[in-house]
Amino acid sequence: MEREICSIVSNDRVAKDIYKLVISSKSIIKEASAGQFLHIKPSLNYDPLLRRPISICKADLAKGHIVLLYRVCGKGTRLFGELREGDCLDIMGPLGKGFPILKDKKAAVIGGGIGIAPLLELCQNLNSPDIYMGFRDEVYFVDEFIKHSDAFFLYTEDGSRGSKGYPIEALARNISSYEVVYACGPKMMLSKVKELCETNSVECYLSMEERMGCGVGACLVCACESSEESYYKKVCVDGPVFNSREVKFDDRYER
Amino acid sequence: MIDMSVDIGGLRLKNPVLVSSGTFGFGREYSKFYDLNSLGGIAVKGITLKPRKGNKPPRIAETAAGILNSVGLENPGLYGFMEKELPFLKRYKVPIIANISGNTVEEYSIMAQELYNSVDAIELNVSCPNVREGGIAFGTKPELIYQVTNAVKKRIGIPLIVKLSPNVTDISEMALVAEGAGADCISLINTMIGMKIDIENKRPYFDNVVAGLSGPAVKPVALRMVWQAAEKVNIPIIGMGGISTWRDAIEFIMAGAAAISIGTANFYNPYAPIEVLDGIRNYMEYSGLNRIEEIKINRGVKNYE
Repeated sequence: MEREICSIVSNDRVAKDIYKLVISSKSIIKEASAGQFLHIKPSLNYDPLLRRPISICKADLAKGHIVLLYRVCGKGTRLFGELREGDCLDIMGPLGKGFPILKDKKAAVIGGGIGIAPLLELCQNLNSPDIYMGFRDEVYFVDEFIKHSDAFFLYTEDGSRGSKGYPIEALARNISSYEVVYACGPKMMLSKVKELCETNSVECYLSMEERMGCGVGACLVCACESSEESYYKKVCVDGPVFNSREVKFDDRYER
Repeated sequence: MIDMSVDIGGLRLKNPVLVSSGTFGFGREYSKFYDLNSLGGIAVKGITLKPRKGNKPPRIAETAAGILNSVGLENPGLYGFMEKELPFLKRYKVPIIANISGNTVEEYSIMAQELYNSVDAIELNVSCPNVREGGIAFGTKPELIYQVTNAVKKRIGIPLIVKLSPNVTDISEMALVAEGAGADCISLINTMIGMKIDIENKRPYFDNVVAGLSGPAVKPVALRMVWQAAEKVNIPIIGMGGISTWRDAIEFIMAGAAAISIGTANFYNPYAPIEVLDGIRNYMEYSGLNRIEEIKINRGVKNYE
């Protein structure tokens, strides 16, 4: 884990509120792996105060570039949206536990919305997994994924691209073909993926999200329900990627 | 030659920069950033007699220049701390301050007694706003501060620090009570009680309804309280509350703090304690001061009343 001042190579809007940020890194990139995140200070002053955890979308070691895909949804990410080439960011990382790369197992990767971000580096490292992706309406970044996929399943909620509905529907039909499933997306989707995989005895890894403070395990705010009743897991250091059997979902996500 | 060492009620620190309980875990996390021996001392995450799972998420909300937290004293319990966490910290030479929280006076006493041979000071947490029993219930009633301080002081042979709550009408009254009951030092402030409402779902954002506010937003209040406490007590004060830079630290020392502690700043700048320490040293060098006690202002000028 390093703290590095990284300069911005590019920051482009790829869809409504979705941006692709490319940063130049010398030290962080050397340790970066799929599923880990960077903890980025959006402002040099006190507002917003905290760093923002953004998952690593792609790490190009040859160029020394890290690609981040993020959604503008609050004060911090709005400031990220204003970054221009040549600006600098105070970044800590890579942090957290990433995806175990199980190359020998037939894998399915499922992502929903901005949850696709940490899956690209993963897909590049797997042996052509089947990829399932869902979006509300506007579709982004799928070409990057198609390159690394065996089969590709695209869904939108409004049916404007791909099939109408959710990618979990297709994954449920094909679940018996897989030995491992990797997922990142809304909690409702993750909760369904967990249930599907566990019912069918398929190994499953979920990338979780929770409001975060320090990012290094000291502040205990990013607690997530653990399958062990007596304690919570820390998303920042025990995760963000968990074996599905390690975590539990609150009833409020079952809606 | 600059001597940065300070005394906090019988415990000599090699410099006045501490890190606050609840913002530094048990030291492991930040040991990856710098040598923990650089610090004046470490107040570890608050511990309770039995392990606590802590509050249900969400546990944090960002506010303007601050944060609200509702962690609820998640910790491995007294014995979990002594067996699993303390050995790591003991590898360092840095003074360890055990922060303890109890539901009853008896619980505080048992914990202090179990700990005092293994740590350098005990900090009584009588000011946690995030748990239903104990915590702040002790810190807002003078007679309870007296009872718990007095009971613990009798059982231990190491410095006793009482961490005061800012959620009181008169901080100096609480400071005086702690001093009268035998506290060797007081630390202030703990978090201020705040809240947030989830307007979409029309309910309080936190399960526990209220939460503790910290960060730069509370600094002026903390500074005022350190000043007021310093007016009344003779025991040393550890000043904290939104300290992020060396300038903040100098303000607290000028207000009457013998030492200062970095809390929330650790979350967004892991190097904050080291930067503050370097800043104080540079300030002293620049100002021609040789000891921390020489950082003073004229207390006779008082416009605050």
